[in-house]
Amino acid sequence: MAVLNNKKSKVSDEVPTSSMADIAFLLLIFFLVTTVFPKDSGLPIVLPEESEEVEVNQKNILHIVIQPSGVVEVRRGESQQVQTVTPNDIEGIWRQDVSSNPNLIAGVKTHPDAPYRFMIDVLDALQTAGADKISLQILEG
Amino acid sequence: MAIKQGGFSRKSKTSDEIPSSSLADIAFLLLIFFMVTTVFRTDRERDIIWPQAEATEKIDEKKKNILNIWVERNGAIFMNDQPYTMEQVSEVVAPLYADSDRRLVISIRGDREVPYSTMDLLQDELVAAGVVRVVFATEMEQRMTRQRR
Repeated sequence: MAVLNNKKSKVSDEVPTSSMADIAFLLLIFFLVTTVFPKDSGLPIVLPEESEEVEVNQKNILHIVIQPSGVVEVRRGESQQVQTVTPNDIEGIWRQDVSSNPNLIAGVKTHPDAPYRFMIDVLDALQTAGADKISLQILEG
Repeated sequence: MAIKQGGFSRKSKTSDEIPSSSLADIAFLLLIFFMVTTVFRTDRERDIIWPQAEATEKIDEKKKNILNIWVERNGAIFMNDQPYTMEQVSEVVAPLYADSDRRLVISIRGDREVPYSTMDLLQDELVAAGVVRVVFATEMEQRMTRQRR
């Protein structure tokens, strides 16, 4: 009887640890693959050099005035006719106007009290429409 | 029988070695902990609400050539965790621009509610410093949220 009781059980009395290393490696590889280093992003623009002033034919300017309320007024070249739109409409207006005049320049004039985001909205719309000739100014007077 | 089973010479079943099989697990745990918690330190994020733009694109320049200028809602300006006044910006940026071999890109990180007059002054300062490559830092905006706005 005593002999029987002393017989070792075939089942191991240890927690199986041989697969722990595999789990650790799996996690390691998972994080290696999924780690992304955040990259800076935004709307790029090239500022004019100091004292760089270019005379532009009024015909080639699309005047965009941004008011503090977020209302955007569009005026084409020499005409005095003002069209009131939202920032999102600028994209369509630019696409339409640039097809008839490839030399078109966007003159974005922002009211000093207008929140920065309205200017970003307009700049976004222009860049989405593929505009590259953009002049950022402040509304004076 | 009795001597074999109960003798003092019987070896203890407990191992006389320090258990080292779990050392690898501890090492891996530490490794993973540091991987998860490591943040590559740049300047600290200021408390701003980012403007959103659909045309957001990645800045195609090395990280060391990018200078962040933070503009908080109240108009306070921060560069490299230091507060500056508007007049100091060009003095600070100009030598950095020269050091970077004219490759410096300025990332303007402005709060969306900052009055545009502040942004205009900042642009004037950057032009005075001779910097031409500027990025208005924005968050990527999905078309769905844009249409709802």
